[in-house]
Amino acid sequence: MTTLITEANSILGIEIGSIHTRAILFDVVEESYHFIASGSAGSTYGDPFFDIGEGAFEAIARLQEITGRILLNHDGNLILPSQAGAEGVDRLIITVSCGADLNLVTFGLLNDVSLETANRLAKTSFTNVIESFGINDRRPIHVQMDALLAARPDILVVAGGTDRGATRSVARMVSMIATVLQIIPKEERPTVLYCGNQAMVKRVKELLDKITEIKVTNNIRPTIDSEDLEKATVDFGKLMMDHRMQNVGGLDRISPLCSDQPVLSSVGFQRVVQFLGKQYDPAKGVLGLDLGSAHTIAAYANNKENSINVFPSGMGVGLEYVLQRTQIEEIEKWLPELIPHEEILAYLWQKTLFPATIPATCSSLAIELAVARHILRMTMRELSLRGAFVSRTFEPIIVSGSVLTHTATPQQVLLTLLDGIQPLGITPLVLDKHGIIPLLGAAAKINPLLPVQVLESTAFVNLATSVTAESNARYGNTIMQARLVYTSGNYIDAEVKQGSLVVLPLKSGETGQLILKTVRRTRIEDVEMTSEPIKIKGGVCGVVIDARGRPLELPAEDARRRELLKRWAFMLGG
Amino acid sequence: MHALVTQIHPLVQIRRNRSLPVPGTVLVRVGQKVIPTEILAETNVPSQHYLVDVFRSLGMKNTTEAEKLVNRKIGDQLDKQDIIAETGGFFSRVIRAPMPGKIVAIKNGQVLLETDSHKITVQSGLTGSVVEVIKDRGAVVETNGMLIQGVWGNERIGFGPFLVDADAIEKELTPASLSITLRGAVIAAAFCTQEESLITAGSLPVGGLILGSMNPELISCAMKQNFPIVLLEGFGQNGINDLAKNLLLSNSKREISIHAAKWDRFTGNRPEVVVSLPAEGESYREVAEFASGQAVRVHANPYSGRVGWIQNIISGLASLPNGLRTTAAAIKFQNNESAIIPLINLDIIDIENRFLGKTE
Repeated sequence: MTTLITEANSILGIEIGSIHTRAILFDVVEESYHFIASGSAGSTYGDPFFDIGEGAFEAIARLQEITGRILLNHDGNLILPSQAGAEGVDRLIITVSCGADLNLVTFGLLNDVSLETANRLAKTSFTNVIESFGINDRRPIHVQMDALLAARPDILVVAGGTDRGATRSVARMVSMIATVLQIIPKEERPTVLYCGNQAMVKRVKELLDKITEIKVTNNIRPTIDSEDLEKATVDFGKLMMDHRMQNVGGLDRISPLCSDQPVLSSVGFQRVVQFLGKQYDPAKGVLGLDLGSAHTIAAYANNKENSINVFPSGMGVGLEYVLQRTQIEEIEKWLPELIPHEEILAYLWQKTLFPATIPATCSSLAIELAVARHILRMTMRELSLRGAFVSRTFEPIIVSGSVLTHTATPQQVLLTLLDGIQPLGITPLVLDKHGIIPLLGAAAKINPLLPVQVLESTAFVNLATSVTAESNARYGNTIMQARLVYTSGNYIDAEVKQGSLVVLPLKSGETGQLILKTVRRTRIEDVEMTSEPIKIKGGVCGVVIDARGRPLELPAEDARRRELLKRWAFMLGG
Repeated sequence: MHALVTQIHPLVQIRRNRSLPVPGTVLVRVGQKVIPTEILAETNVPSQHYLVDVFRSLGMKNTTEAEKLVNRKIGDQLDKQDIIAETGGFFSRVIRAPMPGKIVAIKNGQVLLETDSHKITVQSGLTGSVVEVIKDRGAVVETNGMLIQGVWGNERIGFGPFLVDADAIEKELTPASLSITLRGAVIAAAFCTQEESLITAGSLPVGGLILGSMNPELISCAMKQNFPIVLLEGFGQNGINDLAKNLLLSNSKREISIHAAKWDRFTGNRPEVVVSLPAEGESYREVAEFASGQAVRVHANPYSGRVGWIQNIISGLASLPNGLRTTAAAIKFQNNESAIIPLINLDIIDIENRFLGKTE
């Protein structure tokens, strides 16, 4: 796709994470936007700098070194806009995922209606829900008040009442909030996000306006059986960003240079997945997973729905949350070699202290990939419980996170994803190798062409298309004959046995026709088993037929399990 | 590339801000000498309330009318049975305080009583002098002396005479290594793998415990102990690094203070061990760039807890044994062994620059 671009050619994106600050350059090459390069530095929002400026400067300087393009002037300032197209950049955008999670308290009327939705809203961003209150709370009112005070929240999310529904209960609830907020020192009072019965907005404002800052958004539960989180998620994201603006040092100084207000990384991530959801097969939906240091972000979208969930599990700081909820055996079972429990635990707890650590040995890499599988499984299980997606077949699944993008071979990443996500049906797996999705989402607002064109470029790595064949056949029995016909007319045949992984080579950017002949009632989710060929895309690992069963079950015996894990890795070629 | 500097320093000037999270009363003044457990500031945080609903109890028509019957004001201290509101007249109906408390709010025809509060305090964490008072919050405490920064703490503060010998500091902490003579003393050991050891240390009790590392399965037990525990290297079975060990041994029998904070990268609060000395130290660098000759400490396997010197920073990306490629440095350890270590797995150690340029 080529488009005439008349303005704002080059865009510099800065992603400020909890571990790294990355500067990413997008520019027009042959009339369409491309990812050019990225420069990375340690984040400096915390000790000892307490200012993101230093990290951003270092990342830009690194980008300058890599590209040879002058981005900083002699005073160390970003050249903005570009000069004669050769120095500097035309636009600057920022996404932010650093900073401590905010403490939230949620209010609703019925526990399984508005309160549940309020809690769901809270989980769309970087938060800890400390307390929740509904009208059926059995605690005496003064105990509830004490609990609210003890929570020391940054934000109160107040839902309740369908539109034209309950008013008195909402008023009573807000009165209680007003009473409690009054006794908190003014500068420490939380902001209130009201997302309840819209008929009560005026009354709620009357009760709270003079006490604290109040923001109003749509009713997240407009009727008893419908939930509408779309606008509230956006407004909640803005509120969260406002807090970051006040608390992340240097952000207020740099943001005036930006073409648009900085956004949370989760918001940018969701925007891209939402956009893709409208482009692909509506029956399937797009799943985006970002396995970060402090959080795991999961965004889902099809042409009608979209959702985002942020989990406090991660590969660095977020490991503490994971380890507190995990039996070590759940991680150990993914290790292809014997590593004593103490050693696994010591490595992972040490990583909570030094979250940027790189695995320097084969065993530490194996531990990281094992815990990545476990976090992905935790995430998929929780998404399923929350009803976050319509079907478990996706097109595509896009993943990012440094454990997946920088610390392993494509085959290791692919096997980690197949084991952790356990996709069904036919699923292309795409790797956001440079971690640019949040920035593309942020850029979409100022330049809608950029994300579209970069998504079509080679900035993303097509890992493979996975075909999950399910059968009740015994291990080792043939369940399917597969033929992959290339565009040249050549083909390759493969016999697929129960319990195996079969790789059919098909390069990234190429397509082929897959003809499947199943036996023993083998099925592929959402695919009608006819003799019609299925058009399929390639990837760096080709097309992978996963006949290991769903859910994936591992042998209980340690030696057999390790042997099997090694065999699977061998079958994938690495 | 910038890196955090971990302080293992024989003599340095140390200044620490100690503040309450909420406004309170500062109990110290500039120039005052303080010990680690000295309370610098304190405040009462309301923890229990009681809501007296005048409007409903007296069946009033509206809340404004109910509030007019309240004959108390915000801040009034009430005893149990004190009258809060009354209708007046010959058959006056009254509302009494159900328990002693202070009126903190009167709103919507309701009176909110604060019936209990708990005290929160901020302690000095080190022996030194108050050099600045932070209004309503706390103080800045300064001292000069030895500073060793750790990586994990059990959120306790303590101090005592440092009783250690060259043998004990090299070994695992076991119940057998703990005798009654160590009561009140700060002790050090290479690592700890048994809960029993921590419990025995707590029963003496010791004044504090400095470890190289600890089995992470002991975290919950460590958090329950009333004495401070600080880890200098992290989790596992790594002993205290040689530089810290030698520095600790040279301060044997001196009073040592432990501020076993949990390392918080948002605030910069870090666990540390301090020995105040009657000498002037210089301020230290918190951050530095990697360079040849620097003393560094490895904080990840396979050389976790070992100190060495940067021989050279490898240009471009170096290949690791597991196939990863990353920025790295060639490190020479004290036993002359060399290894390629990712820069991100290193801490710079600043010791008066005395190790700069040293390669063995």
